[in-house]
Amino acid sequence: MRDLYQRLSVSPQASDEELQQAVARCPNSALRQDAEAVFAVDKRRADYNQAHATLNDIGQLRARLGLTHGAHWQGDVANDFSRPPDQTASRHDELVDRVSHAVGLHNRWRGLRGIGLLIVTFGIGAGVGIAAGFTLSQMLGT
Amino acid sequence: MSIARFSPFELLLLKSRSQVDTAKLLVLAWVLVHRQHVSEGQRRRRLAQVSAQFRHGHELGPVMHIAQQQDLLAIQLAAEVIRKECSQEHSLSVMHQAITVATDNGELSLANHYILRFLADLLNVTPSTLSMLFQELTGQTLATPEDPSRDAYWRVHDAEYYAQKAREAEAARQQARDAQAKAEQQEKKHQQEEAQRAHAQAQEKAEREKSRQQQESAQRQKQYERTRQQRSSQQGQPRTAPPPDRTTRALAVLGLTPGVSQTEVRRAYRRMAQLNHPDRFYTGSEHQIALASARFQRIKSAYDYLMQNYS
Repeated sequence: MRDLYQRLSVSPQASDEELQQAVARCPNSALRQDAEAVFAVDKRRADYNQAHATLNDIGQLRARLGLTHGAHWQGDVANDFSRPPDQTASRHDELVDRVSHAVGLHNRWRGLRGIGLLIVTFGIGAGVGIAAGFTLSQMLGT
Repeated sequence: MSIARFSPFELLLLKSRSQVDTAKLLVLAWVLVHRQHVSEGQRRRRLAQVSAQFRHGHELGPVMHIAQQQDLLAIQLAAEVIRKECSQEHSLSVMHQAITVATDNGELSLANHYILRFLADLLNVTPSTLSMLFQELTGQTLATPEDPSRDAYWRVHDAEYYAQKAREAEAARQQARDAQAKAEQQEKKHQQEEAQRAHAQAQEKAEREKSRQQQESAQRQKQYERTRQQRSSQQGQPRTAPPPDRTTRALAVLGLTPGVSQTEVRRAYRRMAQLNHPDRFYTGSEHQIALASARFQRIKSAYDYLMQNYS
């Protein structure tokens, strides 16, 4: 399967009118005939778009997994739907990184909890003492 | 320092008892989503059936949901887990499950053609192994996927549309033929009428001619007698009858003088027609073309007249 949108250099979201113009402009008569057949009926275009979206996804996956030269990825499909490799790193490595980061945070929180409890208790005691002293001085003053 | 939230599939993987099985589950759900003519309930049941041996230990609902959303990142993660964890035999069993889920005695959909091939590449299954496996499981050979970007595909899959179109074209042709036949009939009728009229005119003319000849002969008789009388007194000059006026004018249109031969007339016509043909003026204005076609018409009618009446 070929990427007709790419070959006609229009976006897949183009309106019917733009598409018709692009088809009419196309200098290759065989490609023009095929494009006319595909885009003549709305249902066909919908079917084609579905296959097109799936192949786009697979092309992207292959690019990210390094499978753009697989034995099963040949011919028109490989020509039209292979994407250049992008910046997305391995998702598994990323997941492992994030899990270890989360584990580190968790451990740090656990370690700090003992000291934190002490500080909080001390703070509360001090607060209560100050408040009691303040009320006492007020009572004595009057 | 903040870390991004874990996606639903990542949470599933972390909770799962067996990460590989969760990943396989997502891939199989992805294949199932791309099967056609299957209801939602059937998909869920099929997934439950195929995962009976799996040790994932969580609900299937979220996996199906992620697959339906076509979450590319989740599928990528699943593919990475599968590739990392699967041995050679294990990968063959994954391929086996994917093929059964994708076909189940039905047609392999176009999307699944490509998904199965993607999985085969992912699991290092060679094309020959894949086609053998497919043959064993379904009893059919793994055909090359069809190409909906071509005219030929739609001629097969949307034959009704083309049949209807052909019928319409046939009807239009029939109509045109009928119209032509009608026109021909009318033309014939017209010609017959014309012939009748011409015949009547000819008869009338002949009668007139006859009467005129009679008159003329009477006149000539008289004149003859008169000239006989004159000749007796003086010798008269022999007079050649001048060519009829219309012939002279027609010759003048072609740029000729009376007395030229028919071949010369033809040659002159050819030259004049070439010089004054309206097609020579197609770059000029409409006015020029109109003038040229008027000239051409005049030349042509002069030539037609000469061909019939000039010897």
